[in-house]
Amino acid sequence: MALVGNIRDFSLSDFLSLVDRGYKTGALHLSYNDQTARLYFEKGKLLLAARRPEDEKPELLVRLGVLNADQVAQACQALAARGNGVTLSQVVIDAGLVSAERLQSALMSHTEQSVYGLFAWPEGDFLFEHNQRPAPDAPLAPVPISIDHLIMEGVRRIDEWERIRDRIPSTDLVPRFLAPPGEKLKGMRLAPEEWKVFARINGRDTLAEIAQKTGLSEFDVCRAVYGFLTAGMLELVKRQRVLAAGMPPVEQPRIKKSLVNRIINRIRSM
Amino acid sequence: MQTVKMVISGAVNAGKTEFIRTISEIEVVSTERRATDDTRLIKKETTVAMDFGRIAISDDLVLHLFGTPGQKRFDFMWEILAEGMLGLVILVDSTRPETFRETNRIIDFFVSYRDTPYVIAANKQDRPNAWSPEELRLALRQPPHIKVLPCTATDRESVKNVLLELLYVIQERSED
Repeated sequence: MALVGNIRDFSLSDFLSLVDRGYKTGALHLSYNDQTARLYFEKGKLLLAARRPEDEKPELLVRLGVLNADQVAQACQALAARGNGVTLSQVVIDAGLVSAERLQSALMSHTEQSVYGLFAWPEGDFLFEHNQRPAPDAPLAPVPISIDHLIMEGVRRIDEWERIRDRIPSTDLVPRFLAPPGEKLKGMRLAPEEWKVFARINGRDTLAEIAQKTGLSEFDVCRAVYGFLTAGMLELVKRQRVLAAGMPPVEQPRIKKSLVNRIINRIRSM
Repeated sequence: MQTVKMVISGAVNAGKTEFIRTISEIEVVSTERRATDDTRLIKKETTVAMDFGRIAISDDLVLHLFGTPGQKRFDFMWEILAEGMLGLVILVDSTRPETFRETNRIIDFFVSYRDTPYVIAANKQDRPNAWSPEELRLALRQPPHIKVLPCTATDRESVKNVLLELLYVIQERSED
């Protein structure tokens, strides 16, 4: 079943995060006014971002200056001869027309720029089609692209407290790493302010204290933390807030197992 | 007579009233009024106070089901309803991603200061374009141990299943 919605309500960053954490494979179709875009994912990583249909054609490699028209024609012939399961990128690399590094760099840069442009859309319908794959002759990045830093880029463009407050309701919260962040960090490119915040996260200081210690505004700290949260690196805990206010935590009433069993039996019999 | 309470919460038009109506043994007591704000775009009448349903467990034990008002201006009611509850069902309209942020806000409200046993019911699974429970888990950023269950609030078996799954969570935490 396709996933449909609007990026006004469920942002592109949130959707990318869903794709990343869910290891999704498929195509995300976006439309806003007369603009369209299509993003292909393989197991949570980005293969291709097309802002127009021509971006999914082999000729994109000519436009990017990676190959000339004759080389593209040669690669397409070789692709047809090799049959199913082979991508254009593999053929181009195997034939020695371009190095894997050069192809990766050109396509990665093009893909990232295409996605950055999408973050400027204030709204737009989306439809995610599970398991829809690009055509065999589409110019795919040889190594699928990690989307963590794309998520961060989307978050950098948030300029409203309201959106951030959805997930960070108070600056009394304490950010804490879910696991050692090393692996996640590999795919990310943090801005200096984000590094400042990152370095101050110790599982003890509140967001307000981090703002104070870094000299950044609370908004900037919360925006950076929102990005880390969206990328699945952090959680926010509330220990200080409850105890510091002198309020006892609200305890759930202890329930007898026999009582619960009686309710279970009754509901089962309905 | 002992009474225990479960709370059914969720954003506007998530299906709370329908959920209680489907399982309650009494006519559900609802305070529905003509919607006066932007909720009227979604439904003509909406719950502005709360729904109340009841299931008799035995001669000396009754389960009460309370549906929270969906509109933000009735947030103050949530605190009252949450007092002493056995557990919580969060209903989500699986076809409307525009309500996911509000759903997160509601979850945050109920579980912030108390260790509330809860499950999430992915309602309207019978509709086209419903997000699956697993996709909702990702969208709502729920950890793996929280149950996100398929649900059709108009179907008695489906509602029973959600309540039973919540009861199993409560059972695990209960004392002998």
